[in-house]
Amino acid sequence: MTYNIEVAHPDPATSRSAYRAHAREWLRANLPSSMRADSVDYKTPSLNECRDWEEAMYRAGLAGMTWPKEYGGYGLTLREHLAVNKEIGALMMPESVGSVGKELAGPIIMAVGTEEQKQEFLPKILAMKNYWCQGFSEPEAGSDLVRLRTRAVEENGNWRINGQKIWTSGAMKADYCLLLTRTGTVADKHKGLLMFAVPMNTHGIRVVPIKSIDGKESFAEVFFDDVVVPDSARLGKPDEGWSAAIRVLSIERATNRMYRPWRFEAELKMLVAAFKSDPELAKLLEDGYYQRRIGQIATEIDGLKGLIEQAVDQMAGGAPIGARGSLNKLFWSETHQAFATFAYEMVSQIKPTASAEALRAKKHFTTAYLFARAESIYAGVSEVQLDIIAQRILNLPKDL
Amino acid sequence: MSDDSLRPEDFAEAAGAAITDAEGKSFAEKTAVLAENGLFGVIVAEEQGGLGLDLSFGIPIVAVAGKLQLRYPLVEQMLVASALAGEDIGAAIVGGEKTAAIAWQGSLEEGYATHATFVADADYVLVASGEGAALLDRASGEVQEDPSLDPDYPQYTLKLEGAATVATLSAEAFAKLKFKAKVLYGAFAAGAGEGAMDRAASHMAGRVQFGRPLSAKQAVRHTMARMKLLTETSYAGLQRAIAQDEFGAARDVDTAFAGAIGNSCFIIEKAIHLHGGMGFTWELPLHYSLRDVRKIDAAFNTGGVVKSIGKAFIAAA
Repeated sequence: MTYNIEVAHPDPATSRSAYRAHAREWLRANLPSSMRADSVDYKTPSLNECRDWEEAMYRAGLAGMTWPKEYGGYGLTLREHLAVNKEIGALMMPESVGSVGKELAGPIIMAVGTEEQKQEFLPKILAMKNYWCQGFSEPEAGSDLVRLRTRAVEENGNWRINGQKIWTSGAMKADYCLLLTRTGTVADKHKGLLMFAVPMNTHGIRVVPIKSIDGKESFAEVFFDDVVVPDSARLGKPDEGWSAAIRVLSIERATNRMYRPWRFEAELKMLVAAFKSDPELAKLLEDGYYQRRIGQIATEIDGLKGLIEQAVDQMAGGAPIGARGSLNKLFWSETHQAFATFAYEMVSQIKPTASAEALRAKKHFTTAYLFARAESIYAGVSEVQLDIIAQRILNLPKDL
Repeated sequence: MSDDSLRPEDFAEAAGAAITDAEGKSFAEKTAVLAENGLFGVIVAEEQGGLGLDLSFGIPIVAVAGKLQLRYPLVEQMLVASALAGEDIGAAIVGGEKTAAIAWQGSLEEGYATHATFVADADYVLVASGEGAALLDRASGEVQEDPSLDPDYPQYTLKLEGAATVATLSAEAFAKLKFKAKVLYGAFAAGAGEGAMDRAASHMAGRVQFGRPLSAKQAVRHTMARMKLLTETSYAGLQRAIAQDEFGAARDVDTAFAGAIGNSCFIIEKAIHLHGGMGFTWELPLHYSLRDVRKIDAAFNTGGVVKSIGKAFIAAA
């Protein structure tokens, strides 16, 4: 697949719409119909096809907008990032296979990495030369990382790592792991946590895929048995890397995959269009029950757009995002879960003789329903988000 | 006013002081206090006697009114003043010499109008007429109370035979008024919900059961967190609805309005629940907010609005 990457990037200063118009035009002209989930031509893209697509997007100025130019970014603002995300969301394109690098590893390296690490890793993340996975969760440390056990011990200028990670998305394809370890014992709680950029081909790393509810093997257990990495793999000093990660995570929770409400809207359009394409199914859309449910979902999608645009306005104005990312995470995950359940309810009525669009929708939304079960779990379960809102935004006392 | 340093929240603070000052006063006295503080002319141009601010200022001002449980047709006054700006009646409303209510259902042609509040004290009532609207002399029509939802501040039905029209609005002007109404009533409801949430938070933090404050209980904390989430979603949605997109296109207000009303009902109902038996009493004033928001809900048939959003989405997809 070849893409038109010889394209001029607009100067956002020329007009408020310049960057969004550029994103709209380029994405619509270049995204192959075989990669559009709402197309009857859709075929699940391979890893290489996804990589090529994301690299082309980057070359077209549609990734790395806010990263500094010296590290391969475009030195723009969150406003351009949001404008591009609206257009990414509006098309049913594949989910990013490089998101851990772009949204987590990259910002953390930028915050605490050495100049050498920044030069080494950041341009390659944007150019899709390296995939990253996130090695935070462990069997006994999910949302509560205080119980993290994977240990890093300094040894003759190197670090020896032993432990186990779990729920590691994309570990099978990753070139690097953003690994969270501890230098002391569990009794140290949040103290002594240390981050590394560990090459996944290092001796002693074993990846065991986990089959998930949707039948895919998109995450894994990762075992570290006497894995030795040089000190140059360390990201920041003990404590420093993790405290930076906390800051980055709070921003990331509010800003990552900003395209979500626009994507949910595109999904809702796909669902409705599929039903309209089939005369028998189209009759269902005349039912007030379905009209009202669709209206409710559209209302929630617009509410989510408001939360995201407000967060961008606040951050662009220099305000700290603090715990407000938890509002966004909670709202998008529960909104989409409810939508996915409703969509499944609808597509489960589609018969084998229905239109090609309807059959395509049935396949898409059945998988979406199953995958959506994960949305209230990953990136901090809903209960953790609710606790954060109660504690840090509402300041509700826990004791007298 | 064109000073960019003006912030909506500063105006909201000043509005809050005026509303607090008006509390406990008669209808006429409230009118005088609110007019003196310029609240009826917030979205009226300066050259027409108003403050010349846009709806982004109107939202926090009206939200404060909801939060402080102002029981007065502030939104109606702001809307009619804005729609009739430049006319004598508009100026009289900005100045507080005259007051207006709005009946949101029925029409002059149908001979009746319903879902109006504060009619008994108002000089005028705005009702739909053709594609536009007519401002009627309230004394010229027959008024019936419907106290079933709110005996203190009932809804009214008006029989319009022989009613005297004192001003008219074109279809375009009435459409603009209805857009602003959904923004401002949505903000009033969001404020009412926020006020209920704050009362519940305060009660939960102080009410001790089994040796700890109720706010220590996870079920309570999570319910409160959901109330906060919906409060923020309502405000963010309303502010988004009045902002143009990157291409300069205006947005529809219906999703933000329906969201704010639904969220507010949820929040107030939960706040009543969290107060336990006290929440069911007349003494605890949460029921005022619930009645106020449900009157807006009924006037605009929010369920019907949600359905029409769905129909429009289906038609466009």
